[in-house]
Amino acid sequence: MADAAVHGHAHYDQRGFFTRWFMSTNHKDIGILYLFVSGVVGFIAVCFTIYMRLELMEPGVQYMCGEGARLIADASATCTPNGHLWNVLITYHGVLMMFFVVIPALFGGFGNYLMPLQIGAPDMAFPRMNNLSFWMFVAGTSLGVASMLAPGGNGQMGAGVGWVFYPPLSTNEAGISMDLAIFAVHLSGASSILGAINMITTFLNMRAPGMTLHKVPLFSWSIFVTAWMILLALPVLAGAITMLLTDRNFGTTFFDPSGGGDPVLYQHIFWFFGHPEVYIIIIPGFGIISHVIATFSKKPIFGYLPMVYAMVAIGALGFVVWAHHMYTVGLSLTQQSYFLMATMVIAVPTGIKIFSWIATMWGGSVEFKTPMLWAFGFLFLFTVGGVTGIILAQAGIDRAYHDTYYVVAHFHYVMSLGTVFAIFAGIYFYMPKFSGKMLPEWAGKIHFWAMFIGSNLTFFPQHFLGRQGMPRRYIDYPEAFAYWNYVSSLGAFLSFASFLFFIVVLFYTLIFVKRTAPANPWNEWADTLEWTLPSPPPEHTFEQLPKQSDWDKGHVR
Amino acid sequence: MPYEWRKTDSTAPDYSGADLHPLGAAGTGRADAPLADLHLWTYRSLPKQGFVIFIGVTAVMISIPLLAIVGTVALWGILPFAGAALAGVWIALQRSYRDGSVHEQLRLWDDLITLTRHDPNRPDRHWEANPHWVQVSMWVKDGPVPHYLTLKGGGREVEIGAFLSEDERRRLQGELITRLHANR
Repeated sequence: MADAAVHGHAHYDQRGFFTRWFMSTNHKDIGILYLFVSGVVGFIAVCFTIYMRLELMEPGVQYMCGEGARLIADASATCTPNGHLWNVLITYHGVLMMFFVVIPALFGGFGNYLMPLQIGAPDMAFPRMNNLSFWMFVAGTSLGVASMLAPGGNGQMGAGVGWVFYPPLSTNEAGISMDLAIFAVHLSGASSILGAINMITTFLNMRAPGMTLHKVPLFSWSIFVTAWMILLALPVLAGAITMLLTDRNFGTTFFDPSGGGDPVLYQHIFWFFGHPEVYIIIIPGFGIISHVIATFSKKPIFGYLPMVYAMVAIGALGFVVWAHHMYTVGLSLTQQSYFLMATMVIAVPTGIKIFSWIATMWGGSVEFKTPMLWAFGFLFLFTVGGVTGIILAQAGIDRAYHDTYYVVAHFHYVMSLGTVFAIFAGIYFYMPKFSGKMLPEWAGKIHFWAMFIGSNLTFFPQHFLGRQGMPRRYIDYPEAFAYWNYVSSLGAFLSFASFLFFIVVLFYTLIFVKRTAPANPWNEWADTLEWTLPSPPPEHTFEQLPKQSDWDKGHVR
Repeated sequence: MPYEWRKTDSTAPDYSGADLHPLGAAGTGRADAPLADLHLWTYRSLPKQGFVIFIGVTAVMISIPLLAIVGTVALWGILPFAGAALAGVWIALQRSYRDGSVHEQLRLWDDLITLTRHDPNRPDRHWEANPHWVQVSMWVKDGPVPHYLTLKGGGREVEIGAFLSEDERRRLQGELITRLHANR
């Protein structure tokens, strides 16, 4: 029998630095670790883009030379264009951003930290598996970086095949770099699947008493939908790249026509994963934005249930539209019609979400604190990206736009700008909860405006370039595209400056600002359970089941 | 409702809550029905039906890509991973049920009170005492949980319902005292 333990006093945090951060099984610590590591990887991937924009600033090749990569252009020295370096940069920018930055930040970072708190669970269902997920992500990241430095195609370092790994390009790429990249994605996929299983179990089985599925906060719902999509999509990717690996190394011919295989089949399988992947990236952002907008409009979110089912519908539809990435591979007219129509249907639940956010603000007392600015930026940019998405969904129009900068502009508006703005909204919104310290408002506003102007300046002109017919993934371009490329590069530098500014502000705040944030630094409309805890929360939270009155506010519906 | 006073007819003890590990009369050797039979268990938010629906929808969704590549050799590349994902989430949810399967049963006769606790991965633990002398105590602040409820008797002090919510423990305290006093 459990003998009574009356005088066993409350435990306090006795862990040393190494134990706490390197052996952690605590969902809050692992969430912070995810955020930091994805931030570091994000910085690397952003540096690639800056170098690429530097190269694209002027026609001709000035920096990525066969004689050696330069940081300062030198017109007097000869420069042979080094296309392989360019290809490597676009490849690893894509791979790192897709697999090692955005999913770990939103799903691993915010999801790990906040989802158990919002549903009143003491931790994740499987804390040690959570630790395993994190370290597999780190190992995958290391393999990804190692792949970049390992011998690859064209007698140089790294694999330059594009983040989609299409065969025969990927099966013919020389060196071990491609194999390491495949292993990196394998590890990242295994990490995400384990994380997803953990999240699903936690969400389904560890909600506080009384918290039915129709009462769970929207961010937790978004994490659940994301986890479910990861569980369904990532195994398909794992299978696809495993087949690539055997094609490369063991002489199988899954995707090799000379042995009866089909390279287009790889594209189908890849995009069956790839399209859900982009929703996996954006849906947690929806959750964060919902909370931010409700808090700073001082109103409950408009249409809670439609918001939930819109996320579920977006998730489900994400699995049946994959071939709209492949209109030009020779699909039949019927197939193209189906994928066109199915893709258009996604605009309906997305519209429900956008209009519900607007309706939340309607008649509310809107307060332009920094997180709200980012949420506004998200709404605007995501809508722009969504509208160009509808245009690209038209199979006929896509004939002209396929593989042009129009596509680059489209997916950066939804993913890079939409998702990154959601991440920053989350960072500014939850910083007091994570650390007990407020990021300065003035700095947040400067960061926002610089980033908003900079990123629009970067990507909006790319629509024009796409319409002029500039193809993506090339190191150089004709004189005719020079003007908007120059503008786009200026925008990229402004965004990068704002990112550096943010990093300085972040570390200044973490090191020098005192822990003064109250439990709820915003207002009573930030009404989910995490705001009832001190800032930062203690090591162990909700060992006691929370009371329903703590989270079930009358005004929520 | 993570605790329940069950009917104590000697004829038909109702253990319809199928996953609640009925402990039966084993361990006490008492054939006569107790005056009171209390079951306490941990709250889990996923009903068995929800588990079935979740696994069903997951299986249907994960078969969409498989259907698309039936007849190609690539099916064999994807199938193991899809199967592993499905099996993984199944095992995880079952494991989560098992990890949470803490169950306590308190039974009360004229001259005997017994408490049995079942935890996953360890043998059951028992406590018994003469109900006449049993004290019900509540430690509002000093316990490991607020409103910590204990029973003292037979030379030991044991906890009861430490996994319940605070409100439930407060309610349970009153009910326990009433039942014990009714028999004195």
